[in-house]
Amino acid sequence: MRFRQASVLPGFGLAFGYTVFYLGLVVLLPLSALIIKTSSLTFDRFWEVVTAERVMAAYQLTFGASFVAALINLFAGLLVAWVLTRYRFPGKRLVDALVDLPFALPTAVAGIALTTLYAPNGLIGEWLAPLGVQVAFKPLGVVVALTFIGLPFVVRTVQPVLQELEAELEEAAACLGASRWQTFGKVILPTVLPALMTGFTLAFARAIGEYGSVIFIAGNIPLESEIVPLLIIGKLEQYDYAGATAIASVMLLISFGLIFVINLIQWWHGRRHGMRK
Amino acid sequence: MSIEIQSVAKRFGNFVALDNVDLKVETGELLALLGPSGCGKTTLLRIIAGLETPDAGQIRFHGEDATGTHVRERQVGFVFQHYALFRHMTVFENVAFGLRVRPRQTRPPEAEIRRRVHELLELVQLDWLADRYPAQLSGGQRQRIALARALAVEPKVLLLDEPFGALDTKVRKELRRWLKRLHNEVHVTSVFVTHDQEEALEVADRVVVMNKGKIEQVGTPEQVYDTPATPFVYQFLGDVNLFHSRVHGGFAEVGEHAGAEGVVAYVRPHDIELLREPAALTLPATLDHIRAIGPVVRLELRLDNGDPVEAELSREAYADKRYLAGERLHIRPRTAQNFVEDYTI
Repeated sequence: MRFRQASVLPGFGLAFGYTVFYLGLVVLLPLSALIIKTSSLTFDRFWEVVTAERVMAAYQLTFGASFVAALINLFAGLLVAWVLTRYRFPGKRLVDALVDLPFALPTAVAGIALTTLYAPNGLIGEWLAPLGVQVAFKPLGVVVALTFIGLPFVVRTVQPVLQELEAELEEAAACLGASRWQTFGKVILPTVLPALMTGFTLAFARAIGEYGSVIFIAGNIPLESEIVPLLIIGKLEQYDYAGATAIASVMLLISFGLIFVINLIQWWHGRRHGMRK
Repeated sequence: MSIEIQSVAKRFGNFVALDNVDLKVETGELLALLGPSGCGKTTLLRIIAGLETPDAGQIRFHGEDATGTHVRERQVGFVFQHYALFRHMTVFENVAFGLRVRPRQTRPPEAEIRRRVHELLELVQLDWLADRYPAQLSGGQRQRIALARALAVEPKVLLLDEPFGALDTKVRKELRRWLKRLHNEVHVTSVFVTHDQEEALEVADRVVVMNKGKIEQVGTPEQVYDTPATPFVYQFLGDVNLFHSRVHGGFAEVGEHAGAEGVVAYVRPHDIELLREPAALTLPATLDHIRAIGPVVRLELRLDNGDPVEAELSREAYADKRYLAGERLHIRPRTAQNFVEDYTI
C-alpha cells in the first residue's frame, strides 16, 4: 500500500496527523470510554439490561420513528429544495432562511412549541382530536418532532445539486420525446439520488440522537413513547452508569451499522455510475 | 424535410437576439449558422428546436406551421455543445433513451431497441463503448454518442449547437470531416451553429452569416468567401486589409464605387501583389516582418503613414523573390471589393 502520494501541496504529514489525532481525541476517545465502561458488566448482566422489555421497545421506537421521519424528509426535503431552486417567487429568501431554523432553534423550544400545537387542546391537535388522531404523547408525536429537526439536512444537501443540474439535460430529454414525469424520473431523480441519500442519512442519524425536542412531545410513556436517549438519562440519574453505557453502546453499534450500510450503498451507486473512479 | 423561418423575432429584455429573420433550409442540406457570439445564431437554433419561443414570426416544417408545437412532438434531434449526456446511464442506455420513453403502443420491442442502438453505435464507430459511462469517455467520443442519441429517434431535423466547441483543435478537425461523411450517409436536414469560420466553410453545404440578430449573407462557402455581401462578412471570413479612399487616395478606386467619397477597399492578404518597382495604382510600403511557417509565408508591411498591411505568399513565390526585412516595396491589390464607408465598423 502506498501511503503517501507525491503532491505539489505541502503538509500532507501534518494535515493527516492532525486529522487522526483530532478524530481520536474528539470522536474515538469518548466512544472507547463508553465501551470500556460497558465492559465492567458481565455479559449476562449486559444482555439482561439491553434486552429488557422497556429497552427493546425504546430501541424500536427510536429507530422506527427516526426512519419514518427521515423518509418523510426525503420527500418533503426534495420538494422544498425543488421549489427553492426552480421557481422565483416573492419572499423566496425568507423561505430559504426558514429552512435553517430547525438547525438554529434550541431543540427544547422546538419541542415545547410542537407540543403546544399538537396537544389535544392545541391549535392543530384540536382539529385532529375529533378524527381520532392524537399526535402529542404518542409515537406519532416523536415522528413529528424528528421530522421537524431533520428537514434542513435533506434540503441543504439536495439544493446545491439541483442548482447545478444543467438545464440542457432536461432539454435533451424533452427533445428525445420524454414527458415531464419521465424526465423527472429518469433524468433528474437519478442525478440527485446520491445527494438525497446523503441527506437521508444525515437526517436519520440526527434523529436517532435527538433528545431535546422529543421528550416534550413524546410524553415518555414506558413501552409506548419512550426513546432510547431518555432511558439512558434515566439510568444516569439513578447512578447506573454501566447500564446507561450498555444501552448506549448497543445504540452506537446499530447506528454505525445502519449508516455504514447506507454509505456502502452510496459508494456502490457512485462506482456503478462511473462518477468515482 | 425543409424548414422555413418567417420573420422570426426574439428579445431578451432590451437585448434584440433576433430581428425579423427569414431563412429557408432545404431538404437534406447541411446548413451552418455562422457568427460571433451574441449574434443570435444559437437563439435561432433553439427556436427551430422549440426550446425557445419566438416573440413574433413562424417556423414551418415542410410547409406546416410548427411554431406552437412542443419540443417533444417536433421530432428534432438536438446536439448540445457540452454533450448533455445522462451521467447515470451507460452509453447504450443513453442512446436507447429516446426509444424507451415512447408510449407503450409505439415503443419498439426490446430486441428491436437493442438492434437499433447497436446500429447507431456502429454508425458513430463506438459500438465497443456500449457498457461504459459518459464519465469514462473522451470529449470527442461523448459528442459522437450525443449524436447517436439524437439520431435514435429518427428526427426529421438534426440541430447541432456548437457541437465541436468544447473539443481541442485536432479532434475538432477529425470530427468535422466525420460529420460531413455522416451527413452524406444519413442525409437528414441539418443545421449547425458555429463561430468558427473554417469549420463552417469546410463542413456546410450552405453558410448563413449572422451579425447582431440579422442575417448578413446566405450562400455556398465559395460564395460567402469570394463575394462577401457586406463588410462584416468580409472581415468575419478571414483576414483582410482595409484601404480608405480618404487616406490612401486612388488606391481604393478599383471597382464599382470608383470616385465616390469615403470608399473602403477590402483586400485579402493573398490578393496583395508585391512589386519592387512602382507602377500604376501602387502604394509604397516597408517590409517589417517575415513569418515563413507552413505552406504560406506571411509578410507584415507598413505604409508610409504607419498603417499596417498584411500580405501572403506561397513558399515558392517567396523563394523566388527573396524579400528582406526592411526592404522598400510597392503593393497593389489583385482584386478588391469596395464598400461605401460605414462609420459604425
